[in-house]
Amino acid sequence: MIRVRALRKHYQVHERPPGLAAALRSLLHRRYKTVAAVDGIDFDIAPGERVGFLGPNGAGKTTTLKMLAGLLHPTAGEASVLGFEPRRRDRELLRSIMLVTGQKQQLLWDLPPADTFELNRAIYDVPRAQFRRTLDELVHELDLGGLIEKPTRQLSLGERMKCELAAALVHGPKVLFLDEPTIGLDVTMQATVRRFVKAYNERTGATVILTSHYMEDVVALCPRVIVIDHGKLSWDGALDELVRGTRPEKRVALRLGAPASASQVAALGAKVIEHDDAHVVLQVEVAQLSGVLSRGLASLAVDDLTVEAAPLEDVLSDLFRRGRDERAARAEPAEPGA
Amino acid sequence: MTALARYARLFAIQLRTSVLLALQYRVEFVVQAIMSVFWTATALVPLLALYDRRPSIAGWSRDEALIVVGFFTALKGVLEGAIQPSLGAVVEHVRKGTLDFVLLKPVDAQFLVSTSKLDVFKGVHVLTGLGVIGWALHALGRAPGPLAIATALTLFAVGALLLYSIHLLVVALAFKVVKVDNLSFLFSSAYDAARWPSSVFRGAFAIFFTFVLPLAVMTTFPALALLGRLPARSLALALGLGVAFGLASRAAFQRALGSYTSAGG
Repeated sequence: MIRVRALRKHYQVHERPPGLAAALRSLLHRRYKTVAAVDGIDFDIAPGERVGFLGPNGAGKTTTLKMLAGLLHPTAGEASVLGFEPRRRDRELLRSIMLVTGQKQQLLWDLPPADTFELNRAIYDVPRAQFRRTLDELVHELDLGGLIEKPTRQLSLGERMKCELAAALVHGPKVLFLDEPTIGLDVTMQATVRRFVKAYNERTGATVILTSHYMEDVVALCPRVIVIDHGKLSWDGALDELVRGTRPEKRVALRLGAPASASQVAALGAKVIEHDDAHVVLQVEVAQLSGVLSRGLASLAVDDLTVEAAPLEDVLSDLFRRGRDERAARAEPAEPGA
Repeated sequence: MTALARYARLFAIQLRTSVLLALQYRVEFVVQAIMSVFWTATALVPLLALYDRRPSIAGWSRDEALIVVGFFTALKGVLEGAIQPSLGAVVEHVRKGTLDFVLLKPVDAQFLVSTSKLDVFKGVHVLTGLGVIGWALHALGRAPGPLAIATALTLFAVGALLLYSIHLLVVALAFKVVKVDNLSFLFSSAYDAARWPSSVFRGAFAIFFTFVLPLAVMTTFPALALLGRLPARSLALALGLGVAFGLASRAAFQRALGSYTSAGG
């Protein structure tokens, strides 16, 4: 359904050193540098999957998303969505996809969202009866109530995002691209958006591709993640495998009934992440887990304990650090004098 | 045919949205009506002052030149009411990256951006322009035949197409340069020259205002058509220029879409 092979997007970027002299020189002689935003990636996505694109800022995930949506033209390689080449912007393809982005809006600012919905109904040729049905469902699921009759400019950010989602879905897209849909929202609204997207995917079978800097979005929504770093694919697979493979150790958090000394904590035989009078957080190899737990329960006044996988943020920074080290190792021999 | 009907329906929806938007601001209509009359009056002052001591300028009597002013005013209504709001918004779309939503729609992107924002109150200029033309024809004691009216209307449409195409070419530049407000302002100033019959311009200016920035085609040619003085080759030239500018601007816009980089990530 989505097939990507050796996809590349390179930009020519004009560069010059700071200062007036350099600015004047650059008027006559411009220096350009090629920046590889996406540098040869491959993956396939099956219908109905929920996939998260992860990566640091500028890694190429939004560029990839936009190439799949036909907004950016690839420099090289192949991208196919529902059997169409996105850059050609076939009408059939455009009727089957939609992009929701937390940073840009399609709602008409001075008019109520209902008018944007009506405009989209006409643009997508949605039969009126079907439009009514879909809109009723969306109003119910997103709890839009009287919001759609109020001018967009009077809505809060969270209310606007819910209406953005509804505007994007009135034509029932089969592929939904979500680019940081929860950015700036409060935690309750983030959870509402996540719940809705998951339920929509399960109810309609639509494919969902998400980029987000909020790891909670990815954990809650995406069983599969594709990690892009410096334009290259550094992981494609199940989220829990990524966590297990990169950071196999567990986080053990103990809530203490009485303070423990540093030597008592050290005697547990695990790496100490945090330690104060009321808490101890340890990083423990899976093989050592039962030993550390029984020693802890025996020697400390433990009121409560939790065992969790390492946070996704830590997993990703490990992955990106490894990528950086590998790139540095590859670059070293080429450096003069090295 | 079905595609044409679909686009006509979409245009009606876009127009409806613009009307809804306009109705949010009730005072605007009255202000625009007063401004239009005021603006037309200021456009007439230099003309009336010039003709005060002369019976004709460059072969045009005062009332004949008024027909040119009438077309100029009406076309200004099209420019400010339909062309500038929509195409001005494209520059904003490119800057903010919201052109994404236009490109994602299963509709011709040029059509969608060109009809996205219509300032319906500027339609008052069109009515004022038609009023001035009617007044001038009455003063001349002339009643043009159906063929002359049809030709003048066709040329008016060609004039609107030329104005639109020139603006679209400027907007295509916006994909590379992003900030093109100055070019748009320069064009608006240059358009002011269209209030004069084109024969007042000689030599290089005459060539410039016929072929490069075809202001003559926009206002003088339809006036000549109403007066029954338009040579057939001028009509052919106008149609040819309309088609050429229309195709060239479409090609430039399509090419520009290919280089769209979509702001913000």
